[in-house]
Amino acid sequence: MSSGRRNMDSQAEAAGLTGRGGRTSGLTEDLDETILNIRTELGESPDLKVRRLQIGGERSVQAAAIHISGLADPAAVNEFVIGSLLAEPQKLPESAANPARIQAVLLDGILELGDAEVTDGWNDLLLAVLSGDTAVLIEGCMSAVLCDTKGGESRSVEESSSQMVVRGPKDGFVESVATNISLIRRRIKSPKLRLEYTRVGTETQTHVAMLYMKELAGKDLVEEVRSRLNKIAIDEVLESGFIEELIQDKTFTPFPTIFNSERPDVAAGNLLEGRVVIIIDGTPFVLILPAVFTQFFQSAEDYSQRFDIAILMRLVRYVSFIVLLLGPSVYIALTTYHYEMIPTTLLINLLSQRETVPFPAFVEALLMEGAFEILREAGVRMPRVIGQTVSVVGALILGSAVVEAGIITPIMVIVIALTGIASFAIPSYNMAIAGRIIRFGFLLLGGMFGFYGITLGLIVLVAHMNSLRSFGIPYLSPFVPLSVKGQKDTLLRLPLWLMKSGKTPAQLRKEMPDYKRVTTGHEAALAPLIRNNDAAGRKQDREDGRDEEK
Amino acid sequence: MGKVKIGLLQFFSITILFELGTSLVVNLGMAAGRDAWLSILIGSLAGLLMFSGYAYLYRKHPDLTFIGYTRKLLGKTAGTPVALLYIILYMNLSGRGLRDGSTMLAMASMHNTPLFILSMLMILSSSYVLHKGTEVLTRTSLVFTTIVLMIGLFSMILLILSGSINLQHLMPVLENGLWPVMDSVVHQNYMFPFGEMIVFTMLMPYLSDVRKGPWVIAAAMLVSALLLSATIALNISVLGADIAKRSQLPLMPTISKISISDFIQRVDIFVVMVLIIGVFFKMSVFFSAALIGISELFNLPYRRMLYPCTLIILFTSMLDARSFTEHLDEGGRLLYTVYPVFMIVIPVILIIITAVRSYFSAPRPG
Repeated sequence: MSSGRRNMDSQAEAAGLTGRGGRTSGLTEDLDETILNIRTELGESPDLKVRRLQIGGERSVQAAAIHISGLADPAAVNEFVIGSLLAEPQKLPESAANPARIQAVLLDGILELGDAEVTDGWNDLLLAVLSGDTAVLIEGCMSAVLCDTKGGESRSVEESSSQMVVRGPKDGFVESVATNISLIRRRIKSPKLRLEYTRVGTETQTHVAMLYMKELAGKDLVEEVRSRLNKIAIDEVLESGFIEELIQDKTFTPFPTIFNSERPDVAAGNLLEGRVVIIIDGTPFVLILPAVFTQFFQSAEDYSQRFDIAILMRLVRYVSFIVLLLGPSVYIALTTYHYEMIPTTLLINLLSQRETVPFPAFVEALLMEGAFEILREAGVRMPRVIGQTVSVVGALILGSAVVEAGIITPIMVIVIALTGIASFAIPSYNMAIAGRIIRFGFLLLGGMFGFYGITLGLIVLVAHMNSLRSFGIPYLSPFVPLSVKGQKDTLLRLPLWLMKSGKTPAQLRKEMPDYKRVTTGHEAALAPLIRNNDAAGRKQDREDGRDEEK
Repeated sequence: MGKVKIGLLQFFSITILFELGTSLVVNLGMAAGRDAWLSILIGSLAGLLMFSGYAYLYRKHPDLTFIGYTRKLLGKTAGTPVALLYIILYMNLSGRGLRDGSTMLAMASMHNTPLFILSMLMILSSSYVLHKGTEVLTRTSLVFTTIVLMIGLFSMILLILSGSINLQHLMPVLENGLWPVMDSVVHQNYMFPFGEMIVFTMLMPYLSDVRKGPWVIAAAMLVSALLLSATIALNISVLGADIAKRSQLPLMPTISKISISDFIQRVDIFVVMVLIIGVFFKMSVFFSAALIGISELFNLPYRRMLYPCTLIILFTSMLDARSFTEHLDEGGRLLYTVYPVFMIVIPVILIIITAVRSYFSAPRPG
């Protein structure tokens, strides 16, 4: 579209029509010509509907209502645009000689729509029509009236399929950005909730909405998000993953540094904790940032259950992440290098099992992990009808057949199954896949170097996580750097009356001393450093620093 | 590296891991027999005295590393060779640490893996972490200090529960008078591991708090001295002074005494983990000091010399001795010949120069 505009502009300039201004290259005073221009620009598209009208009784004026069928809501177009244009001709001014006046009257007294505006920008006109608006053009008028008639079919609000809860709200985001914002606004009826729109993608012109709570979210954070969103130069945005990849701090890491959710209650909760929510048109997954490691282990349900139960559930998730990372590798290290640690009776049992198996434990584990990954990948994208077959075949093969065939020991099947189940216990899918990838690294280290490799691997892993930041917040906060205040809702979930004064990582970030925000001098160059400019924040910094030393 | 600052808690934890390092596992100060725990405490006091000297230098030059103020105080011509020597010292210490670690590891659990491979894996992990920066190293140390302390606590409880501790082994205290203890202090304990704190003069400019920083480090030294002393006392009380003295890694047989209802037994893998973690951080601190020194002395970007240094340290560790016995012997001799020059003589000269200068440059009345 932009190239089209450029062509038009250059044509206009070539024709010496600078007086008309390059900006309205397709909009002319001549209605027929304008309609023709629009048709040409959109490639004679058959779904472009042009309805010509005679408005205003005797001294009638030529007009046209233009929309794209399917994008615009037909009822709105018929009733509120065309209907109201034709309804009361006497309201129109006497003289047709003043088209601008007609337009004003249309806006002031005739169009029965909540949102209508005048534009003289050619691109705005095209974009509006392509977004589902109806454009009303009037003979002799260089501008168009854009009526908001966006509609068409979209999915209705349903329960989110990726993040389910036993207890808690059941509505989930949908593909429409307007609906999604309404879902959040319904939860936060505060005037402090701020909303900003941008369009990203030169071809897709996708609506991207940024929500935050004024005063709760740090100014510098909001500014940083805004600037990173504006820096995006990409043709298409089809999912929030596109945006996520372009605004995150660092790409070379398996760990997600931006949280995503399909649940409005999660988004609302994070907004109230001072985070920024980005909603992208066309996907039910919103982005929540900044995100720290512990956030990926929290579930919306933690807050609907009793706190002691919630703590237990969280601990189970962390333990399962450790099992996911280290399960098979520790088993291999134990059986290959450190068998003296296994209790004797168990060791005898193990050895008798291994007698019939031809492979070393490492190969065994690799085979089983591979098979398990294939099975899972097959299961995810299977049509539901066939899905049953996969699980039956998989259970048979991985369960008993491999053992009976003497390829794998039963204990290995148990270890792999436990690892697999553990990966499902982590609430967020992207953290679980990160764990699945890293597990293979540990498998290799455990198989080659036993506990030595695993320990070094852990050191490197922790160092890597320490080097990550999400919009200025250290990824492992509030553990490293340690903040006692931040512990209230991370590993633990304290009762709400204790959490009242607790600070969320995002709020802590505002108060974090400068030296804690940057990992190294080089990191500052890699990702834009977020500065805290207000003096109040500095003062808080010092207090916070003092608190931490205790 | 600009204005990167490292928090006090991180400094505390890296100091603890650095001090515990290899010394937690080896038979430290066992020349003093069953009073080894005492010799470590006395050694730590000597170490604190030395550290107060380094802290004085830091207070006077809070923005400069050791190399920075050496060149400032001695002048460029005399200071640069001294600075270069320090860089070589740090790389050598790093290589020695690596050799210590990988050999002990080979002795403890990886009997068949070549030493070179073990060393290589360690130095590669270290260079990855240092690639991320010194601050990442210190932050990581926070996590692993917690792990090491938890392992320590856990082993302690298990040892008590399995009833292996016999405090009678520690009696009588000072059987042969104070002299054997002092002898051990003079020969080993004032320098190892506490004299090695000289390396922190390279890191202290990153301290986030000039005033409290040295105190925090000193506190960490004291805590680690207590931990070390307690560990040695534990070894002796479980094994008896005789066995503890003969064993190269006395913590291993100590921990292997743990046995609870035939299920939890032979948990020496925890000792190996502590050993790996300790060696890793000790070596990495030396490594990072060398890197900071090089980048300052030659005005190079911090990362450029990372991989060359990795290679140098790896080969130093492999080539410095033909066997572990030779390595230990060499280390023992370095401990009272070469190291005192670097850790006491040169710093004392610098302290004197600083003191004299600040005395004369102080504004006088009139």
